[in-house]
Amino acid sequence: MNRRATLFNRAGLPVLLALMSLPLTATERSASLYQMHEKLLDQDGRAIDLDVYRGKKVLVTMFYGSCPATCPLIIDTLRAIEKKVDGPQRQDLRVLLVSLDSERDTPAALRQLADSRRIETTRWTLAHADANAVRRIAAALSIQYKKLPDGQFSHSTIISALDADGKIVVQSAELGHADPEVLKAISAK
Amino acid sequence: MFRTKVAVLMTAAALLTGCGASDKPTAAAPATVTTGGSLKGDFGPPQGEPVHAVLTSPPEVPPATGRHAPAKVIVELEVVEVDKQIAEGVTYTFWTFGGTVPGSFIRVRQGDTVEFHLKNHPGSKMPHNIDLHGVTGPGGGAASSFTAPGHQSKFTFKALNQGLYVYHCATAPVGMHVANGMYGLILIEPPEGMPAVDKEFYVMQGDFYTVGKYREKGHQAFDMQKAIDENATYVLFNGAESALTGPHALKATTGQHIRMYVGNGGPNLVSSFHLIGEIFDKVQYEGGTHFQENVQTTLIPAGGAATVEFHTEVPGNYVLVDHSIFRAFNKGAVAILEVSGEARADIYSGKQGDEVYLSDKTSNTAAVETAALASASGTLTKEQQVKAGEVLFKGTCSACHQDTGAGIPNVFPPLAKSDYLLADKKRAIGIALNGLSGPVTVNGSTFNSVMPPMSQLNDDEIANILTFALNSWGNDGGVVTAKEVTQVRSSTKRAEGAAH
Amino acid sequence: MIRACILMALTLLPFSAPGARAVGLEVPIAGGKFESVLPPSPKEKAADVPPFRLDVALVSNADFARFVRKHPDWRRDQVAGLFADEGYLRQWSSPTEPGSGIEKQPVTQVSWFAASAYCEARGARLPRWHEWELAAAASTRVPDARNDPEWRQQILDWYATSARGVLPAAGASPANYFGVRDLHGVVWEWVEDAGSMLVSDDSREQGDPNRNRFCGSGAIDLEQKENYAMLMRIAMLSSMKASYSSNSMGFRCASDAKAPR
Repeated sequence: MNRRATLFNRAGLPVLLALMSLPLTATERSASLYQMHEKLLDQDGRAIDLDVYRGKKVLVTMFYGSCPATCPLIIDTLRAIEKKVDGPQRQDLRVLLVSLDSERDTPAALRQLADSRRIETTRWTLAHADANAVRRIAAALSIQYKKLPDGQFSHSTIISALDADGKIVVQSAELGHADPEVLKAISAK
Repeated sequence: MFRTKVAVLMTAAALLTGCGASDKPTAAAPATVTTGGSLKGDFGPPQGEPVHAVLTSPPEVPPATGRHAPAKVIVELEVVEVDKQIAEGVTYTFWTFGGTVPGSFIRVRQGDTVEFHLKNHPGSKMPHNIDLHGVTGPGGGAASSFTAPGHQSKFTFKALNQGLYVYHCATAPVGMHVANGMYGLILIEPPEGMPAVDKEFYVMQGDFYTVGKYREKGHQAFDMQKAIDENATYVLFNGAESALTGPHALKATTGQHIRMYVGNGGPNLVSSFHLIGEIFDKVQYEGGTHFQENVQTTLIPAGGAATVEFHTEVPGNYVLVDHSIFRAFNKGAVAILEVSGEARADIYSGKQGDEVYLSDKTSNTAAVETAALASASGTLTKEQQVKAGEVLFKGTCSACHQDTGAGIPNVFPPLAKSDYLLADKKRAIGIALNGLSGPVTVNGSTFNSVMPPMSQLNDDEIANILTFALNSWGNDGGVVTAKEVTQVRSSTKRAEGAAH
Repeated sequence: MIRACILMALTLLPFSAPGARAVGLEVPIAGGKFESVLPPSPKEKAADVPPFRLDVALVSNADFARFVRKHPDWRRDQVAGLFADEGYLRQWSSPTEPGSGIEKQPVTQVSWFAASAYCEARGARLPRWHEWELAAAASTRVPDARNDPEWRQQILDWYATSARGVLPAAGASPANYFGVRDLHGVVWEWVEDAGSMLVSDDSREQGDPNRNRFCGSGAIDLEQKENYAMLMRIAMLSSMKASYSSNSMGFRCASDAKAPR
C-alpha cells in the first residue's frame, strides 16, 4: 500500500526538489521544523535545540527505548538508508531520534540504548524531550502516539527527511528497507 | 494491433479454461469465455500525455473514452455538503460528490492509471473519503483519501477490472455518509469500449431516512434509528422525488437503442429494477461482463450496479420503478422516460374496445332472494321456487347435468324426462343431500359415477332446485318443500363428507 | 460526590442565566471512571479521569484577537506555515481584527498549535479527549445521557445541517449538568491529545489492527459504536493535522484541578 506517498500528501507540503541554490521563499522558510525551539537533552545530557543539525540533511523520527518490536526495526531502517547513501553524502547525513517516553528515556537510559545498539553518536542523536515538547514535535511530524496503561506506547512510525533548512521534504512509513523516495530526497544536491 | 492482442489473450484464456484436468475433450462442455479479470487487466504503463477525465452530473454520462491504449487519467472530485430539496417542500442536507446525488459519473478504460484527487470543500462540516469498488487496493482507496474540510488528498490506482462500479464515502459512521447521498458510479470500459448506442443515461437508486414522515414539510434531519431498522422514509432515483419526472424526465425517441447505467447506493435496500412498458433486451447483471437477455425486472444489490439496454418502439411515458412496489408509490421510487415518435399500432394498439362483461356465474340473485323472503313469510309459490331453483341449478348442478338437463352420455345421467328422478321424490332429495355412487340405470342407460353430497346447500335451496328440475325439460311437475328436505336430512344417515 | 455537586452548584449560580459568560471562566468537574468511546487500551474500557477544570464557553473571536495582538507571532500574516495552514483566521477582516458581527462567535479556522498556544498563554491547556468526552456526555439534567436516544438524535441533528449557518455567540447554549456550554451543536473542538486518535483512516478496519503501522497494541478499536456523535468527533479530529484549520473547528481551554488560576 502506498502509505508513504499518502502520508506525504496528507502533510500537504509540496515535494521540494532540493535545488539548494535557489533562495527560499517566505513560505518555504516558514515550513521549517526549526521554528520550533524545543529544548531537548541528548544521550550525554547536553542541552540541544531541535535544530541541532541545521545545515545538514536530517532523518528525524520518534521512538521509545523499551519498545519491543518496531523501534529496533526503526533503527535498522535508518541504518539501511544510511548504507545506501554514497560516502561523501553520508558524511553530511544526520539522524535524530526523539523519544516519546519522557519518563523513562532519560539521557542515561538513552546512552545505554545507544551503546547496546552500537549507535555511534557523532552523526546520530537520541534525544529526550518533556511531555509537552514531545506532543508538539509529534504533531509537527504527523506522528500519532498514545501512552498505554502499562507504560508502552502505541505509535505510528514515520521517518521524515529534512533539508538543510529543516523543512520536511519526504515522509515515509516504510520499515525494514530504504525507501527509494527518502533516498532520492537526501541524495539530491 | 491491440485488439488482436486482446483477441489472442481471450482465445488463449478460452482454450486454457477449456482444458481443465482431463486430457480427453468432453463433447458436452462448451469453452467458457472469460476476461481473465484483474490478472489480465494490466496493459502496462500509461502511454501518452495525462488525460483529465470528463465527469458528468446525473443523468448525463461522459462520452466513450475512445482510447486504445492505457493512459494516465486525472480525476478531480470535490465533496460538498449542500442543502437541497428531497421532495416538494422538504429539504435535506446532502453530502455529495460533485454537488449531486448520485455523485459525478467517472468513465475510464481498463488498464488506465487513475490519479485520484479528492477535495473536501472548506465549507464542509465533516471529513470524507472515497471507496471505489473498481479499485484493487485496501479500502478501495478509503484509507488513502481521508480528507479534512478545506483540504485535498491524492492517491493513484490502476483500473485492472472492467465493469460498472459503485463508489461511496467510507468515513465513520459509513451508513450515515452513504445515507446522505455519498455515492456514484465509475465505469471502467472494457478494452474494446462499450458498443455504440443512441443514448446513455445515469440513474442511481438510494434509500433515505428522515426524522419526519414521508413528505413532511420543512428541513429534515437524518434518522439513525430508522436507518438501522432499515425503515426507509424515501426510496428515490437520483436523490429527489422529482429528480427524473416532469421537466426532468429522461427523453428519447422511438427507434433508439438506449443504455442505462443503473446503480444502487443503498445504504440498505436492494432494488428490483423495472421499466414499466419495456423489456430489457440486455442486462449486464451486477455491472459485470456477461449479460442476460429479455429481462423484465433485474436485481441491483445495495452497493452494486447493472447495465441495461433496450430499444424503443412505441411512444409514451415509461416509468422506472423499484418493483418492491410500495417503494414506488409510497416512497418515491419513480422516474420517467418520455419516448416521443410515431405511433406503432401493430406493436401496441392502446384500448380497442370496452364492452359489458357478464360472467357465467353472474347470477340474478334477485330470484333467490325473493324466494327466501317468501319462504320466510310463508307465501312461497311454485313459480318462485322454480325461478330461484333455476338460478341455483346453473351455479351448482349444470356443471355435470348440463343446462339442458341432458347430462353427458355414459358419464352423468340426465334429469330431463328421467325415470329415475321422477319415480321417487324422497329418493331424489336424499341424493341431493347425500350424493350417489355405484351403478344406476336411468332411461335404460347405466351410469356408474360419483355424485358428491351437496353439503353447501341448505334445505330451501335443495327444495327450489328439485322443484325446478321437476318442472323443466318436459318433466311433468311437482313440488319439493323445504320441510320435506329437512325431514329427509334428519332421517337419513349422513354420508361421508356430507354436512349435517 | 455530594460535596462536588454542591461545589459545582455554588460555582454555577452566577452562570446559570442563559447567555451569561465571562472570559476564561472555568468550572470544576470531579472526573472519575468513565467508559469512553476511545478506551485507554483494548483491555481497559474505562478511563480514569482525574478532577479538572473546564472553560464554561468556547473561546470567541474577540478572545482570540486579544491574544493575537499580544503575541504577533500568531497573526495570520506572520505565523509559521509549520503551525498553521492558509486557512488560518481567514474569516477575520484583518490580521488583528475579527470584524464586526463575529466578535462574540466562537473562533474557528484555528490550528491545534494556535489553540494550544492560546491556552498556554493563559496558564492553561487544551482539554484532553477523555475530559471533553466526560463533560460532553451530560445533558442539561443528567451527568451521563449517552444512552438516551433522544439526546443522541439531538446531537446527530447538528450533523444534518450544513456548515454555512451563522454560529451562535460563544456561551449561548444552555449549561449542561456540569455547567458547561456549547459542547454540542456549535463547532468541533480541539483537544490536547488530538494526536492520539490512533484510529485507522478506513474506519471499516475496526478489529483488524495493522500491527506494523502502530507499534504497541495497534490501532485502537472504537467502543460504543452506537454513539455516532462521538465517533464522528473522533473521525473529524483524526482527519486533521495539527496545522490544519477548519470553519467548524474551535476550542476551549482546561486546566488541572489544583493548578493555580
